[in-house]
Amino acid sequence: MQSVAEAVAEPAAQELDAAGARVLDAALRCISRWGLAKTTVDDVAREAGVGRATLYRLFPGGREALLDAVVSREVARAVGRLEAGARRSAALEDVIVAWLVDVATTLAGHPALQFLLAHEPESVLPQLAFGRCNALLDRAATLTGPLLARWVPNPEQQARAAEWVTRVVLSYTLAPSPDADLRDPASARRFARTFILPGLARATA
Amino acid sequence: MERAVRTRLLEAAYACIGRYGLGKTTVEDVARQAGVSRATVYRQFPGGRDELMREVIAWETTRFFLRLAEAVAGIHDFADMLEEALLYAHEAVEGHALLQQVLATEPERLIPTLTVESGRICRQIAEFLVPYLRAEPRLRPGVDAAEAADYVARMLLSWIGAPGRWDLTERRQVRALVETEFLAGVLLDDETRSGLPSH
Repeated sequence: MQSVAEAVAEPAAQELDAAGARVLDAALRCISRWGLAKTTVDDVAREAGVGRATLYRLFPGGREALLDAVVSREVARAVGRLEAGARRSAALEDVIVAWLVDVATTLAGHPALQFLLAHEPESVLPQLAFGRCNALLDRAATLTGPLLARWVPNPEQQARAAEWVTRVVLSYTLAPSPDADLRDPASARRFARTFILPGLARATA
Repeated sequence: MERAVRTRLLEAAYACIGRYGLGKTTVEDVARQAGVSRATVYRQFPGGRDELMREVIAWETTRFFLRLAEAVAGIHDFADMLEEALLYAHEAVEGHALLQQVLATEPERLIPTLTVESGRICRQIAEFLVPYLRAEPRLRPGVDAAEAADYVARMLLSWIGAPGRWDLTERRQVRALVETEFLAGVLLDDETRSGLPSH
């Protein structure tokens, strides 16, 4: 399976037809139920109600290609929601809060991710630490930094802000805090006002 | 005495991991390296290999952060201390031969345990930071010292593990990081902190 960072690098997931989308949905359900290691191509085909041959026609690379496509689609969906969050925000504070709430809610409520964190942490956590975390932060900054252009004109400052927000969400999601539940808009707003916005004001001044 | 045996076994396990890796080190290897019987290893670590590997990761993680605490001991200014901590810890991670070896060859055996340990380490770092914040005259009104300590501890761990777009060997960059991402929301601005790095 490619790394999350590599998947993030190609967010323009290929236009999947309805059958392709059904297969990816089925793969997510299988992973939520049995984990990555035990999910086979046959399981996914059966769950999706398609034949093995159809699945291989949709994903010629087989299991690896299928799992890569699952990750790419989840990333593309997330970036799409972050774009929407930025579009409907008036102030920088609003977009930061919208992003914190959206990503924290998505990660905490993602059945496949939560199954893997609970039962196969070795399949996920190495993506979020040390060198691979650098790659992930870089992709997140590249993809989401420019969405801040309305409020933060300087591209380097955009990337810096996006990287910072990514770190915050990862930390407070993987190790929940009694002080701040970023899924809750009021809590996320208080958190952003306390710890993030003063620094963004300084960095963008 | 028990404690000395335990430490000797952890040291032996550490040496074995350097030689064979986390996945291939056996109780037998550690017993031989320490010059004790397998029964002695099991007496200390009833869970055998898996427990021993978890314990050696926890042990070295604790030692790493004790070295970090020593490196910044005596620095009274909060921002100065954080700056030094980041510079030191970044270099220590890069220069940690066994950590780098395991990250390159078998990260999936290390990172899950390290993630569990990082929760404990985060709480200990926060406890270490709270007195600085309580003594800090520039703590922003309305900011809770314990919550701010937890936030700063999280950011420390995040940047120590992955510097991202920052060059943490550059003191000026580290200063800017500490003043903005770490402390802009925690401490009030003053003339020494509102402009360029004071170093």
